[in-house]
Amino acid sequence: MLELELEVVRDGFTLDVQLSAGAGPTALVGPNGAGKSTVLRAILGAVPVRRGRIVLDGRTLLDTRQRVDVPTEERRVAWVPQEYALFPHLTVLENVTFGVPGPAGRASAGAVMDQLGLAPLRSRRPGALSGGERQKVALARALAAEPRALLLDEPLAALDADTREMTRALLVETLPRLAIPTLVVTHEMRDVIALGGPVVLLEAGRVRSATALDAFRASPPSEFARSLVTRAVGGT
Amino acid sequence: MSPRTGAGLLGLLPATAALLMLALLAVPLFALVVSTSPGDLLEGLRHPLALSALRLSLFTTTTSLALTLLLGTPLAWWMARHPGPAERVAATLVQLPIVVPPAVSGLALLLAFGRRGLLGPALEQAGWALPFTTAAVIVAELFVSAPFYIQSAVATFRRLDEDLLWAARSLGAGPARRFFRVVLPLSRPGVVTGAALSWARALGEFGATLMFAGNLQGRTQTLPLAIYSAMETDLRPAKALSILLVTVALAVLVLLGRGTVVEAVRARA
Repeated sequence: MLELELEVVRDGFTLDVQLSAGAGPTALVGPNGAGKSTVLRAILGAVPVRRGRIVLDGRTLLDTRQRVDVPTEERRVAWVPQEYALFPHLTVLENVTFGVPGPAGRASAGAVMDQLGLAPLRSRRPGALSGGERQKVALARALAAEPRALLLDEPLAALDADTREMTRALLVETLPRLAIPTLVVTHEMRDVIALGGPVVLLEAGRVRSATALDAFRASPPSEFARSLVTRAVGGT
Repeated sequence: MSPRTGAGLLGLLPATAALLMLALLAVPLFALVVSTSPGDLLEGLRHPLALSALRLSLFTTTTSLALTLLLGTPLAWWMARHPGPAERVAATLVQLPIVVPPAVSGLALLLAFGRRGLLGPALEQAGWALPFTTAAVIVAELFVSAPFYIQSAVATFRRLDEDLLWAARSLGAGPARRFFRVVLPLSRPGVVTGAALSWARALGEFGATLMFAGNLQGRTQTLPLAIYSAMETDLRPAKALSILLVTVALAVLVLLGRGTVVEAVRARA
């Protein structure tokens, strides 16, 4: 269970959110500039939080009142940003084992790579990979570190249509099995439906609603949500 | 002269200027090379002045480069990561030695570390009399050359994609692992270029060394100072050492050029 209460002020923009996410995927949707990526970065510890608390499985990662601020490298929160942030000078294998050095890490990384079909690419560098392959490497790197929570920032946005279908299927297959809180930022209702988990709607830096998928579809809580839902109906 | 020819000649003006400029750069080096026979070169390099200066220069520039890397890298990293008023002050301090005349640097070093300088008495009490020692040569070289490395390193560190560092942190990598496994390998071209430029500057250092460290054979007489001294007696070692320095400078340029080619190939692979 990931619970957070955050107030982040950045360049005149105020993010003020409270949300909790259980094990499995939770979709984070909202218009551009609503603060979705900032929420992920705050959980990661990459943006300064003015006031707030982040608790992951009972462990306090941040509590501004108690002056608790666990450094990013000890949070065990994995993050896959939009552009993946793969290490360009390292091979696929080196990228995936980055978070788990040593022989034991190599073994667990190997298992994750097999699972995602990355074994044949192990000695390539990110520059020589397709977009879908890079996304898989980023996911494998995140999973190999055995995180307690996973943050995916628009995991499918940079992919072409075919790759997006395949990668979506992969996420749908992989994420629920992890059984860790997984926040997935997306712009596509199809992703939200495929993930099947709760939907958190963020607008102008605040949580507008946090509901089950069915409720979100049945009665979209805002104009943005309505357009998101209907676009998916028209689009498929 | 018809107006037409006049216009034609006028059109040649830029080309003439450009050739003149190139000639001005090339002729002195050409003169240096053609005026030195291979025999002169060998004779000059065998001169006692040459060997001790060569040894001293190698030792002092290697030491000052090591100190530059050791002290300059953390400073460059801090400057790249903390833009603001303090960083701007640091950036100005780093830029000044590049622009300030070496003679001024030498005087400033004397006023700081000289026997009657700001820190001189304290240093002397600690058993460290800096001026006119080999250590002073190293300090002078460090003062004038470190800025070249620091500037290059700052620029390189700034270009680094910050998300890579956050990704590394999210994977549990502490500061040392991030720096040696991510920052340094990705910054290698800029760091190597900066180190090479800085080393070349240290090797050529003359004015500040002369004023702060003096010109004592075997102790503070580096290659440029040996050239200066040799000119008064025998031109052959001066010419030989000059050619040596030009060769080293060319080698640095080739190394840097090759460095970029290697990087280009690697990026494509």
